[in-house]
Amino acid sequence: MAKWGMVIDLDKCTGCQACTTACGMENDTLPGENWQDVLFYTEGEYPSGQMKWLPRPCMQCEDPSCVHVCPTRATYKDPDAGGIVFIDWDKCIGCKYCMIACPYGVRFFADEAPLVEPDLKEIFPGSGGQLWDPPGQSPDQDRKRGIGVQPKGVVSKCTFCYHRVSKAPEGVPDLDEDDPELVDYVPACVRTCPPKARFFGDLDNPESNVNKLIANKNGIRLKDHTGNRPQVCYLGAGAGIPAFQPKS
Amino acid sequence: MKAILEKMLNRRRFLQATGATGAVAGVAGMGKLAGFTAAAGSAGVTSTASAATFADARMTKNICHQCPARCGINVYTHNGRVTSIYGDPGNPIANGKLCPKGHLGTYFLYDPDRFKGPMRRTNPQKGRNEDPGWEPISWDEAYDEIARRINELRENGEAHKIAHFYGRGWGPSDAGLYGAFGQLVGTPNSAIGHASMCAEGSKRAKAATDGNNSYNAYDYKNANYLLTFGASFLEAFRPYNYLMQVWGHMRSKSPRTQVTAIDVRMNPTMAAADRYLMVKPGTDGALALAIAHVMLTEGLWDREFVGDFGDGGNRFRAGQTVSPHLFNEKWTRGLVEWWNAELKDRTPEWAEGITSIPAGDIVKTAREFGTTRPAMAIFERGPTSHTNGVYNGMAIHALNALSGSMFAEGGLFYQMGPSYGSGPADADDYMDDIARDMAGKHPRIDMAGTERWPFAGTMMQETARNHNAGDPYKLKMAMFYTTNPIWTAPDAPEWEKMMSEIFVVDTSPYPGETAKFADLILPESTYLERLQDSPTYPFEGWPMTALRVPAVEKLYDTTEFGNMMIEIGKRINGPTGDYYRQIDSVENLLRHLARGFEDDPGDNGVDSYESWVEKGVWYKKPYHWKQHRGVFLEWDGQGYNREMSEEEVGEKLLRTQSGKFEFKSSHLEEKADYITQHLAVERDRVGFPQWVAPEHTGGNRDLYFVTPKTPMTAEGRSGNIPHAIALQQPSVGGNDRTYVEMHPSTARERGIRDGDRVRITADLGTIEGYVRYMPQSRPDTIVLPYEHGHWAQGRWAEAQERSVAPGNPNEITANVSDPISGLAAYYTGKVDVERV
Repeated sequence: MAKWGMVIDLDKCTGCQACTTACGMENDTLPGENWQDVLFYTEGEYPSGQMKWLPRPCMQCEDPSCVHVCPTRATYKDPDAGGIVFIDWDKCIGCKYCMIACPYGVRFFADEAPLVEPDLKEIFPGSGGQLWDPPGQSPDQDRKRGIGVQPKGVVSKCTFCYHRVSKAPEGVPDLDEDDPELVDYVPACVRTCPPKARFFGDLDNPESNVNKLIANKNGIRLKDHTGNRPQVCYLGAGAGIPAFQPKS
Repeated sequence: MKAILEKMLNRRRFLQATGATGAVAGVAGMGKLAGFTAAAGSAGVTSTASAATFADARMTKNICHQCPARCGINVYTHNGRVTSIYGDPGNPIANGKLCPKGHLGTYFLYDPDRFKGPMRRTNPQKGRNEDPGWEPISWDEAYDEIARRINELRENGEAHKIAHFYGRGWGPSDAGLYGAFGQLVGTPNSAIGHASMCAEGSKRAKAATDGNNSYNAYDYKNANYLLTFGASFLEAFRPYNYLMQVWGHMRSKSPRTQVTAIDVRMNPTMAAADRYLMVKPGTDGALALAIAHVMLTEGLWDREFVGDFGDGGNRFRAGQTVSPHLFNEKWTRGLVEWWNAELKDRTPEWAEGITSIPAGDIVKTAREFGTTRPAMAIFERGPTSHTNGVYNGMAIHALNALSGSMFAEGGLFYQMGPSYGSGPADADDYMDDIARDMAGKHPRIDMAGTERWPFAGTMMQETARNHNAGDPYKLKMAMFYTTNPIWTAPDAPEWEKMMSEIFVVDTSPYPGETAKFADLILPESTYLERLQDSPTYPFEGWPMTALRVPAVEKLYDTTEFGNMMIEIGKRINGPTGDYYRQIDSVENLLRHLARGFEDDPGDNGVDSYESWVEKGVWYKKPYHWKQHRGVFLEWDGQGYNREMSEEEVGEKLLRTQSGKFEFKSSHLEEKADYITQHLAVERDRVGFPQWVAPEHTGGNRDLYFVTPKTPMTAEGRSGNIPHAIALQQPSVGGNDRTYVEMHPSTARERGIRDGDRVRITADLGTIEGYVRYMPQSRPDTIVLPYEHGHWAQGRWAEAQERSVAPGNPNEITANVSDPISGLAAYYTGKVDVERV
């Protein structure tokens, strides 16, 4: 089984958020429930100010903090599924402990007051135990892996679009959206990325393009000191999360 | 996930189904089609495709509607519902990719605020707070009422009081229908387009210099240097999706394309560039002139395109004139005269005083631009949305002549049109006495092309003012298509007065400010439910045209705009009705157009209407012309092998009076008196790209007010799309509204804290909004991305104070335009800001 990894080249990323909306529509998330978010940072002052951005999916850590803290073992890492970290919505009790433990802030609890009113959950009320019924809901549902629309009261997160990735032909080193045979198996954020700043492939295969990119461009993992060992790697300048600065 | 085979099978089944559907057809001339054609549909009836057709997982071809770019999209449906949208890998603009807006199309389709069918107003009072009192009516009733009014006005000799307004025209099957409508009905106001409120200034700057009244096509892939002036390359320039694709290429190819970005505010383009220069608003032209000055004094111009001194030396020295006969120009005209009259004094030090950009940075930029080939200078609405817009644009575009990038590899050129067949009928054959009598009898209501606006092709923003003043006359009825000037036009409230006095028809699928003042609502289908063609916006030069194919059955009782035009046309008395019966339907029109593909199959094999529906796009590479090292070459079917004569270049490419790139514009000199009268330019200087100070409105107020588009600004509609609202302005945390970006020192001087509610005051009044500190902004410029402030656009647009904080910036934007291009000077007003 492959160990799926994502590479994001920040020298090519334009901060457009197409990854965010593609993910949102593919996975039927609510406004603000950005499984794949782009964070913007500003530093410095005119005429030498900076603006930077960091696209941020779940890092699918090899040693994920969220799994360690989950009291019901609802969240788990599945080595038989590319090493993706899933949430079993039948086990999740919505305690949000994982959200606090995650060093990357990539877990979401959407069963609360909406970011944007009126609440989509009220406009498109849920049926069959779903939190809401998105008007163009995707057909894939897998509560054991946190795929599809969640029930009430649970945490949700990026699944590397496992419902797509899992159907890829066995043994492919990379899932490249430019390959017509593979495009339908590529995670939504990678598939749509206009400047092609994202790459997806097998980290266990030394021949994969993702491993070559990491090798050639000295890829780095965010917050490596935590020991989480993300399966998401960043290339290029600016790969880091600036320290939090409270507003004066 | 569907297997590829399954997809193809489903697509074939869908084709069979659409073949059986009597949809709509219509063709009209956009671009190379000068005439107009129409299409008609089964009026008042929604699609006849059976529900079973749409029952399974399918993929259909369409074109995104959220900006002008026309990205091809694959629309995936399950059980008759659209579940996801991805870029079409077979579409040369999309290449399988989409920008952030494109994916949200699902919510445009399923917007619960959509109009469900045609409606008539019952409340005669109009106003922001008046309930229109909508009552549902049939399509026949709606068409009959419109046609009755048109027939009456025609018979009374008042056909010119009928106006059409449009924003995004896609092609012959929608906005292309206007030409014949105006001709046959007898009104000069079919239609008034929105270009003068969009980016007309760059077209006019190009008309004045290289003779092409057009936006450019670009060869970014091969460029090694980009100078972008106020183009929002990574936010709002079109085609945004493709620009980002090519950005990824440019920034990782060898050699890496260097980018210097020029803008008035911090944005992703500025941040991602190698160098950014944050100019004072309206002064881009001064910066471009100084760059040109350095290119000449340091001998960095392209000699093969521009020419050289007879002895090969360089006599361009700051402040010194040069004798014109010493320089032998090649493909340009007036270089030395321009130098003597203007450029010799436009030193970097001079420009520093105008633009606030340090002279040293200007010199560095000029040296890089001048020593790198191919190098392009691009610009759009930012530099041209001022009273000096055309001169700013000419100064920037002149850099493309100096760098030799006109029609060159890695340079810029113009767009070819598609090989369409002719429409089902020719309007010339259906003119009646009224149409003949009215031809040329009255000016347009906006006075474009008259002595008031002699260079302008359209002046939509003048309409309400002219109507309200009764000069040249008052309109009686108006129909709106993809435009909402009552909210978007400068001094927007003028439109409320006009629209209260006339019979208004809105065709938007959604509620909006225009609809609030409408007498009839004829709701168009959303783009995912439409059959509609769309020749490309200027892209890479070679011709292309894409097609919208309905992905699902129409959700509600709606139809294509083209159908509305045709059905109204059929009800006009006399031969006009016959004409529209010939056009018949949008589908019939599109089938006629597609006949042109039979003799000229596209690169993807599209040679018929059916294959066009299947592939979604017809295109044919390559572009036919190329300038290489000062020689113009034409494609002969095998290669760029045929050298063109000067006459051919003048006729096909550099379409100025001289057939050269003109640094001394004959186009402007033809109307020198007008320019002298309206801008402080001496008569013998009007032809030169030059510095003319912008005239700012706002009197003594000291803050520039700019209202840019962000990547989430979707053709005026993302204000009611909840996911778009949440992502609108991420750089300052704008996830529930847009904020006023303000430098902290400017704010503190006024006692404004981060997050405070403020009042912005201009000549026309005030709006309110919330401030976010942005230390990266110019202290003299405040920024409010325009999207919110809609007061009748739907439940999300109006919730959480989004309809009032921020208010609509267009309410306090003075209706002032560049006298030459006619482009509304949206970014030229100065304001005060105070804490509420």
